Amino acid sequence: MSEPQFNVLGFGDISYISRDAGDPGGFAVGQAVAHITASLDDSLSIFGEFSLTAKDSSQSAAIERMIVKYSFSDLFKLSAGRYHSPVGYWNSSFHHGAWLQTTVSRPEMVKFGSKIVPIHFVGALVEGTLTNNNLGLSYMAGFGNGRHENISQAGDAGDINGDNAWMVQLNARPSRYYGLNAGIGFYNDKVTPADRPEINEKTVSAYLVWAKESPEVLFEYIYSTHDFVNDSSISGDVNAWYLQFAYRLQGKRRNWKPYARYEHTEVDDSDPLLGDQGLNYEAAILGIRWDFNPYAAIKGEYRNEEYDDSGRENNFRLQLSFVLAKL
Amino acid sequence: MNMNIRCQYRLKDLAMASLLLLASLYPASQAFSQDDEDRFSLAIVVHKGSTVENLSLQELRKIFLADQQFWADRSRIILLVRAPKSEERDFVLNTIYQMDEQQFRKYWIAKMFRAEVPRGPKIVFSTDMTRELVVAIPGSISFMDAKEATDDVRVLRIDGKLPNEDGYPLK
Repeated sequence: MSEPQFNVLGFGDISYISRDAGDPGGFAVGQAVAHITASLDDSLSIFGEFSLTAKDSSQSAAIERMIVKYSFSDLFKLSAGRYHSPVGYWNSSFHHGAWLQTTVSRPEMVKFGSKIVPIHFVGALVEGTLTNNNLGLSYMAGFGNGRHENISQAGDAGDINGDNAWMVQLNARPSRYYGLNAGIGFYNDKVTPADRPEINEKTVSAYLVWAKESPEVLFEYIYSTHDFVNDSSISGDVNAWYLQFAYRLQGKRRNWKPYARYEHTEVDDSDPLLGDQGLNYEAAILGIRWDFNPYAAIKGEYRNEEYDDSGRENNFRLQLSFVLAKL
Repeated sequence: MNMNIRCQYRLKDLAMASLLLLASLYPASQAFSQDDEDRFSLAIVVHKGSTVENLSLQELRKIFLADQQFWADRSRIILLVRAPKSEERDFVLNTIYQMDEQQFRKYWIAKMFRAEVPRGPKIVFSTDMTRELVVAIPGSISFMDAKEATDDVRVLRIDGKLPNEDGYPLK
């Protein structure tokens, strides 16, 4: 390769939300996201992801990802930067790409600003794929800054307590069964929230996905345990999972894809990090996606959900999502 | 006695029916082998200087899915794919990717989104363009109608077979 090559992708969405409780609904511009990738030579690539997010009366800009990767081979790729944490499936597979995901919204456990899963991670990562087998085995191992004292944020300016986070993830995508994807991961950190002493955090994630669209099945499970570093008798667990089922219709109706998802998040009251955050959650979701254009889709979604045993509420969401890509 | 006669008639009917069946199949089987020769066959082609001579169908899928991005000599694999609405592309999507156009597009966008590949496949618009780029780019791999493969590119064996051999998996 003689000169750098650039590639640009863009994602965006516009939603309408109607609720029977809580915040008022209305139109909302979702995130506008730009991806820029550059191959500087056969082995060195740079990936940037930038977002504009609508706030109450303004827009906030953010560097979501910035990855400099050197690929020695399929088996060994080394990178540094800011990532979507490789914890579970949804967080790194769809993230800011609303068009990529079947549904309007992300599962609550991996929503933007989630406290259950560390959404972003700043550090270094090694990853690779074992190409000489038919299981499609791949691995990722990362080391870097843990969560910020505001635990829904990444430690962008360094690890706040000097105890770095580390994580591993193993994944299988058998080539014989395109669409099947199974993975398991572990994340370890010491967290120092602004208002309490240092806490150990250990998270196990597992997922099983059949990504072919007729049907599409996504199951993801997160188990976290937290305890005070100075008093391990004060501890608690988090169990969070979702199961999503979708089916792209066939023949003339293949632009339509009905779907359903059930979500459940349970946090022990005794959990020193998350027990008082009101994160218990349950939801049943029904929706349909219409791909009216190869690069754009309209989704309609009904949600019946309950936050922290505060009574069930209903809402309806309509979303137009699109991708800007040349392929 | 009657039963013997009935049996003989049945045997005669059966023999006659078998003969008629064989006679009707004979020209059809000849026609089939003629069709077989005319059948579309996809050649997988690489740069002439490549050391690769044979790939299994599974290995080919990994390369086309970008699950394998480097050749054994650690040079980058450059995948060239025909633009939509060509017989070769339809064949590759059906047999190798096992996806339709929409799934193919989404697959590559998702792959780029996850930063697993720096870019999608290079799009080529004709067999001549495919040939020119495969000749010019050392790590390239692409495909064309086997009848149009010329000596300036290397045609790979797939599962040990060349496109003109029986049992070639991309026919």
